[in-house]
Amino acid sequence: MSAAPAVPAASRVGRGLLGLWLVLPVVPLLLWAFADRWSFPALLPQEWGVRGLTEAAASGAGAALLRSTLLGAVVAVLATPLGAMAGRALASRQVPGSTAVLAVLMSPLVLPPFAVALGLDVLLLRLRVPAVLGVVVLLVVAALPYTTITMRAAYAAHDRGFEEEARLLGASRWRTVRSVQLPLLAPALAGAAFLAFLVGWSDYVVTLLIGGGRLTTLPLVLASAASATGNDSQVAVLSLTSVLPPVALLAVVTLLGRRGRR
Amino acid sequence: MSARRHADRRARGTALVAGLLALTGCSAPASEPTTATARDWEDVLAEAEGQTVRLWMYGGDDKGNAYVDDVLAPAAAELGVTLERVPIADTGDAVNRVLSERQADVTDGEVDLVWLNGENFATGQQAGAWLCGWTSMLPSMEYVDPDDPLVSTDFGLDVAGCEAPWHKAQFALVYDEARVEDPPGSVEELLAWIEEHPGRFTYPAPPDFTGSVFVRQVLYAVSGGVGEVPLEFSAEAYDELAPELFDRLAELEPALWREGSSYPQELGELDQLYADGQVDFTMTYGPATLPDLVAEGTFPATTRVLLVEDGTIGNASFLAVPATSGSQAGAMVVADLALSPEQQFQKARPEVWGQYTVLDPQRLPGEFRERFAGLPQSEVVPPYEELSDGADPEVDAGWVTALDEGWRRQIAAG
Repeated sequence: MSAAPAVPAASRVGRGLLGLWLVLPVVPLLLWAFADRWSFPALLPQEWGVRGLTEAAASGAGAALLRSTLLGAVVAVLATPLGAMAGRALASRQVPGSTAVLAVLMSPLVLPPFAVALGLDVLLLRLRVPAVLGVVVLLVVAALPYTTITMRAAYAAHDRGFEEEARLLGASRWRTVRSVQLPLLAPALAGAAFLAFLVGWSDYVVTLLIGGGRLTTLPLVLASAASATGNDSQVAVLSLTSVLPPVALLAVVTLLGRRGRR
Repeated sequence: MSARRHADRRARGTALVAGLLALTGCSAPASEPTTATARDWEDVLAEAEGQTVRLWMYGGDDKGNAYVDDVLAPAAAELGVTLERVPIADTGDAVNRVLSERQADVTDGEVDLVWLNGENFATGQQAGAWLCGWTSMLPSMEYVDPDDPLVSTDFGLDVAGCEAPWHKAQFALVYDEARVEDPPGSVEELLAWIEEHPGRFTYPAPPDFTGSVFVRQVLYAVSGGVGEVPLEFSAEAYDELAPELFDRLAELEPALWREGSSYPQELGELDQLYADGQVDFTMTYGPATLPDLVAEGTFPATTRVLLVEDGTIGNASFLAVPATSGSQAGAMVVADLALSPEQQFQKARPEVWGQYTVLDPQRLPGEFRERFAGLPQSEVVPPYEELSDGADPEVDAGWVTALDEGWRRQIAAG
């Protein structure tokens, strides 16, 4: 952000506080991650070290990180175009009963995932759906509300005149999508994909119940480590591992968004 | 501080889920247990060759994870069985998975072996989720005393050949010799000690696994001994015995740490209070980990286990094979391997995991009897025989739930 002189001091203070609010919870995590011993009432760890790191590595965090990344990416790749199509249709007001359709698409937001996963588990097992496929399908459905809402708003603000112009100038349908629609909607698409990625990245219940232990992702490793006591440094390392990639991704998405706005 | 927990904790939620499953109206599967056909062990070994066994176990215990990955799995590989560990936060998750698979008539499920006991075993048993009648086939069972109540029943429920013993646990009260000059000799004396030394004792709030055991230990004491408590739960027995227990605990409250206005939410917090010298006692269901905690300086060097004349509660944990498993032969081979003297000895070594064996020393070959006897002795923890002298059995899972709930209503809210 260019430090525009127009930004009033109050706003800068506000931003600073907001940043602090977001960063502060990470500070104890960082301390714990490198604390081999930190007991009450010491203000700072008494012994520094990398035991948390080695323990986290031993618990299979590396492989789990890969699996989580892959799962998040697959969910994003599937849920983003689906959400874009639904969003475009809903924004065009050409869908009969669009409110009802929207309500159905939004329903995963209000249904507790635990109940859904538990109910569908038996059904998917009866249908002999492979565990990993079941996880992906359910997570894509869970991600659809986010991608649909994001893309519906984007399409509502999107001027179709640009597309018509391009078509009038002789661009093919595909070329219009590629050269006009996608660049205009890139920031929204990136945002939607980011949200969908997060759904796959952070899921616990569906991965555990439907995945049947086939898919040991980061949240699963983290939860089983956190359910014990005395693991604090390992849990801190695992938590940071879960928090940092989305933050990095968010930075990329924000950058993309800013470039899109120019 | 190293992780020290038990597979048997965190059973809550399973029963609720089982109830939910019933409510969803899915046709209830036959609740009769599936019984394994008796056959030659050579047969089982031959079928197991090349199978993959997925062992679902509580993943919060680093030493336990390392034991399975580095000791048990390589030994299983030598028998041609691939052992995969599935870490879970709550053993109930495995039971839920098995119940779902059973409803869907799956015959090649994802769970081949579960480390469990107590409520989780009972819930699965109710739904006929476990394979039964197979433990008698295991060659290693010859080293297990069939009359040992700790391994023939699981929280009051007959094991009935539906799970193979894995290791034993013994509840122990732990104190700092340097700070407690007159260690009490019984649970009653401990209660008196607490009142004479206000603020120096507390216990984790049930349903924390260890706090819950402590409450049961007090129940035995105020009821006049374990003999006075019917192990099978009934509302009448509860109404008769529980008021005295909760009256006593309420009476005790002002003498606890922070006058009982707050309790440690889990054992780890109590351990921390003890390590920091804020209280003089802690407690554990896995005393074999104590020497390590002392050695690494987490606990003071003067930490000792309190031996009480009424004996403390002991239990065993087990390995169960789901009826839905497609690798049952492989699972049995792993369960047998885990029960073999060599594996039980490795698991008992404090540097490996430090879990008490379920084998009867009298039945072991002489060589192993010596090896077990040669396990490092510690000043901190007396040997298992002494520790488990006059061990009390666990009450059944119904008691556990009722007492935890009663504690919440009368002590936490009172």
